[in-house]
Amino acid sequence: MKNLTYKKAFSDLEKLVDQIEDDEIQLDTLADKVKQANELIKFCETNLRSIEKDVEVAMGEGKKGRKKG
Amino acid sequence: MPQTQKLSELVNEIDATLRNRFDGRTFWIKAEITDVKKYIDKRWCFLKFIEKSGSAITTEIKAVFWANSYIHIQNFEKETQQTFASGLEITCNVRVRFHKRFGLDLEVLEIDFAYAIGKLELERKQILERLLKENPSIKLLESGNYSTNNNRAILPTVIQTIALITAPNSDGQRDFNKVIEKNKYGYAFVAHSFLTQVQGDNASQLIIEQLKLIEASKTKFDIIVIVRGGGSDIDFKSFNDYELAKCIALFPVPILTGIGHDRNTSIADLMARQHKTPTEVASFILDTNYNFEYNILLLKQKLSQRIKELIEGAKDDLKHYKQRVKNLNPTTILKKGFAIIYSDDKIVIDPKNIKNNAEVKTLLQNEMIYSKVSKIEKNEKLDL
Repeated sequence: MKNLTYKKAFSDLEKLVDQIEDDEIQLDTLADKVKQANELIKFCETNLRSIEKDVEVAMGEGKKGRKKG
Repeated sequence: MPQTQKLSELVNEIDATLRNRFDGRTFWIKAEITDVKKYIDKRWCFLKFIEKSGSAITTEIKAVFWANSYIHIQNFEKETQQTFASGLEITCNVRVRFHKRFGLDLEVLEIDFAYAIGKLELERKQILERLLKENPSIKLLESGNYSTNNNRAILPTVIQTIALITAPNSDGQRDFNKVIEKNKYGYAFVAHSFLTQVQGDNASQLIIEQLKLIEASKTKFDIIVIVRGGGSDIDFKSFNDYELAKCIALFPVPILTGIGHDRNTSIADLMARQHKTPTEVASFILDTNYNFEYNILLLKQKLSQRIKELIEGAKDDLKHYKQRVKNLNPTTILKKGFAIIYSDDKIVIDPKNIKNNAEVKTLLQNEMIYSKVSKIEKNEKLDL
């Protein structure tokens, strides 16, 4: 997942959820797909938190934002 | 020896003759004035009226304003915005006076400044026409304003470096600097003063010289400001000069004028960007910079808002997918009381593959039940 982008991860997640929701899915592959989906969700959540923090710092809104000179 | 008479007798006769001819009469004359000497404290003004043929003076007579008519000089200066000084041609009402000791002179009773204004207007009109005729880049707009290279030049979005043309220690310089230096926004400016005389006969030429110095300067100025302070100053002559107007109109750096008069617009103003006073020019500069900062702040706000929306949107989407995955997670299903049956370590999907007495594993949420199949029959009760 090193070079994975948020966009790619989210798009993979969408596809996975579609597959998981497919009535034809075999139960033994379901667990595997759910595991993958949860990994992607975790990646997206971490990534989103990091983006949010970076943006806050860039916009000078973070707790450790640059003070006015 | 010729017969003589006393001086006083002759002068008395002159006096009598003049009185006889001129007493009680006044005359309107038009003449150039020269040798103007004002005694402001006494409210007197001594001068001479002259008439020329070419450059030679052909007629000359002394004249005087006494205190009771001195107000006309002040009104003239106020109305025409020019100093009552040598070289002007005026129309005025006079009375012939003769004093046995001080001789003949004209006492000025009134000035017709409508004539002076008319003359100034005509000169102004002629200069404007000449500017249009000789400089194709200067254009008269339908609004009555003039479009020049200078006032068409785009003002910088942020003004930082200013060349200030002003008289040394003048009110204009002080008023301008006061607003610029102590501005509430804390903006810092680099302002270089180019000091010169801004009124009087040579002023227009001296201002042109300062403009040339600015053009040759290594500093790249964002704008040039020409200010002149004090509402009482009345001499606009230098700012109506053809050469100065032309120099301003063609000058590449935007020029802002604040030459301190509410009512009048000089030709220099028309060629540049006019503001009424030095304070107004300074305020305009601050406003220009503030507009820039305000727009930046607005953009930042919009950006911040948009980022929040994007992040919140992404969070919601993620939450939604997380819930969907959770709902389909076998663990969730098991929690609800469902079970998964394994036979030979494979999930049983088709029960046909299971025979009686076969060993199966039933996976519950927390336990695995090992059992033997005793009976298989069709499920007919559970109708979902």
